[in-house]
This record gives sequence, structure tokens and C-alpha cells, in this order.
Amino acid sequence: MNFPKLFLALYIALPAASALFADGLSEAEFDRLHKKLQASSEAPWRTIPWRISLLDAQRAAVSEKKPIFIWAMDGHPLGCT
Amino acid sequence: MLDRESTFKDPEIVRLLKSRFIPVAIDQAYQRRQKDAEGDFYRKIAGQGPRNNFQGTTQGLYLATASGKFLGFNNNRGGDRIRRMMKKALEGFRASGAEVIERGKVDARYNPSPPEGGMVVRVQSKVLGGYEETTDRWRKIFQGSLSRDNLWATKAEHDALVAGRLLPALQKRIARYHLVDNTRGEPPMWKADEIRSLELSLEDGRLSGTVHLETANGKRGYKASLLGRVEKKNGKVTRFDLVARGEFWGEGTYTRGAPKGRFPLAASFTLADGSDIADGVPPQGSRGWVRGYLRQ
Repeated sequence: MNFPKLFLALYIALPAASALFADGLSEAEFDRLHKKLQASSEAPWRTIPWRISLLDAQRAAVSEKKPIFIWAMDGHPLGCT
Repeated sequence: MLDRESTFKDPEIVRLLKSRFIPVAIDQAYQRRQKDAEGDFYRKIAGQGPRNNFQGTTQGLYLATASGKFLGFNNNRGGDRIRRMMKKALEGFRASGAEVIERGKVDARYNPSPPEGGMVVRVQSKVLGGYEETTDRWRKIFQGSLSRDNLWATKAEHDALVAGRLLPALQKRIARYHLVDNTRGEPPMWKADEIRSLELSLEDGRLSGTVHLETANGKRGYKASLLGRVEKKNGKVTRFDLVARGEFWGEGTYTRGAPKGRFPLAASFTLADGSDIADGVPPQGSRGWVRGYLRQ
């Protein structure tokens, strides 16, 4: 490649590269990762009708005549990790 | 995390929970301390089990009647034992004439609500690579896990976003409490002086920047780039999407088993719409100290 062509190639390529690396993330990668990092609503544990208030659960247990199942963790089981 | 992909992946347990029980998920660090009706009810149940010292953790799976009669406890993972416990409890269960417990005055310290006029943002993180291959079932779960937490923003921070500004307090909160590796357990949050650099700007609805977080001894850190979008309509933020992606290194007391050396970690932020019950869970970083979490 002669000098003018090399200069032209760099002139075109460098701004695009610097825009990419200045932000670190391209728009395409942002879109891809944002979609990838979403929990599936079909995961079995997410299909369970959890409540997050023990007294709400107690109220439901009275009206539906069912026992209460308590998932009690260090840190909230539905969040935290 | 492990329970989600083991106990609560068991089809029979899921079926029983949907049809025969009232399932509730709680952070027992709140309920065992709460000085109100909910705390009393929790301690009544847990006090009948093996973990009845409320100065320490009482974590586990409990079964009880609406009147607070203890029906079972287990702190193991996996289907067999839990399934057996549930079936045994159902055999002996008779709906009594229990009355609804009135909430009464709640212990405000352990009943935090999202800031009025603010916003809740879902934060989900994942280690994108770097783990050694394993055949261990539990390690595999950790290695593929997607974490979940919530970011809370105040009304002032929300209103600033509507006006096209990103307040420093919100930037710092994102960095300190939400750019963490919480994919294997409760993570250590970043201290204020562990923010080595933080440059996050909002221009024409585009969020972009970089962050460098690192402990004083250099054993844990995160260097990442951020890119996102903020949209608004009629004075409300209608979109807050953000992605952080970079190199993480190190681990915490409860997040052992990180990949060796530096590894890729990404986090996504998405405005919550309240459709997920987990949208109502307080941020892990606000635990016991909401004002400190929001103040920054």
C-alpha cells in the first residue's frame, strides 16, 4: 500500500476505532449484553407465586386454608445474589 | 442461588408450592430482629425449630400453619429431603380457625420502601468467562448464575434524569453497591475510597463512561466501561438501560470460588415495572441502613 492509500485507510479507520475504545462498549455489544443479562421468566423458581411479606402469606394461609412455606435466607432469596 | 437451581427446580416441589402451600421468601436478618407483628410471627415459628437463637442466623426452609404452629424445618438443598418434609407436613395439616394477624405499627428500620417519586432499577450480573471446567453440580450452578438485585434512586435523582442530568450520588451508588460480583453469594460492597475513578455522563439520553474500583490491598477490583440509554415521557423516566462490562478480580468471604486472575463480569440495569415480585425487594446494599445507601 502506498503512502496516500495508507493515510486514507488510517484516516477512515482510526476515528471508528477510537470511538469504540473511548466508550469501551459498542452499541451492538450494549444491546447484546442487555438482552443476555435478563432472567428468564420460565425458570421454574420464578414461576412460583412467592410473596415477600410474611403477614401477607399468613393472611392468604387463613383464607386459602393452606400451610405456609417460608424460604428464609441471609440476604433476600429473590434478590441479593 | 443454589436453591433456585436445585430445590426450586424440582417439578414436584414446584407443583406442591403452587397448589398446596402459600410460599413466601424473606431475608430473615430482618424478620428475626423486627419489633412488630411480622417479627413476632416469624420468631414464633422459627423459635419452635432448631435455629431458635435470634442473635444469629435462622436461615432455612420452614413450614407452619397460619396460627404459627411449626410443621417442619430443613436447611438442605436438593429435592428429596424437602419433598419428604412437605408431604409429611401436608399429611398432618388441618386448617385451624386461625385469624388474620393485623400488621399494626411496623418496625420502620426493617420495612424499607422505595423512595417516593424515585425509581427502582433491576440489576443483573454475570461472570462471562474464566472459570475452570468442573463436573461438580454446585460449582456449575454458580458458574452459570445470573444474579439479581435492585437499585433505588431518589426523587431528586429521578427528576434530574428527566432534566438530562445524572447526579453524582446516583453514580456513586451504582458503583459502590451494584458493580459487584454477587453471582456466588453475598458480596462485599465497595467503600467510598475504593472508587479510584468514576466517569459517567449523560448526554442526549446516552449514558457512557468508565469506572475503576479497587481495594487498598489490590486484591479485589473492577475496571469497566458503561453504556446506556435514558428516555423520558411526561416528566417520568420511561427507560433506564445500562450495561457495565469489564475485568473483575478477587472475591469476598461469601463469594468464594471466583475464577483465577482477572475475569469478565457484566451487569445490566433495567427500569423495573413492578411486574416481578422481586422488584419489591430492598437493595442488598441498603440492608439495615437505607439512609446511608441513599445518601452517598
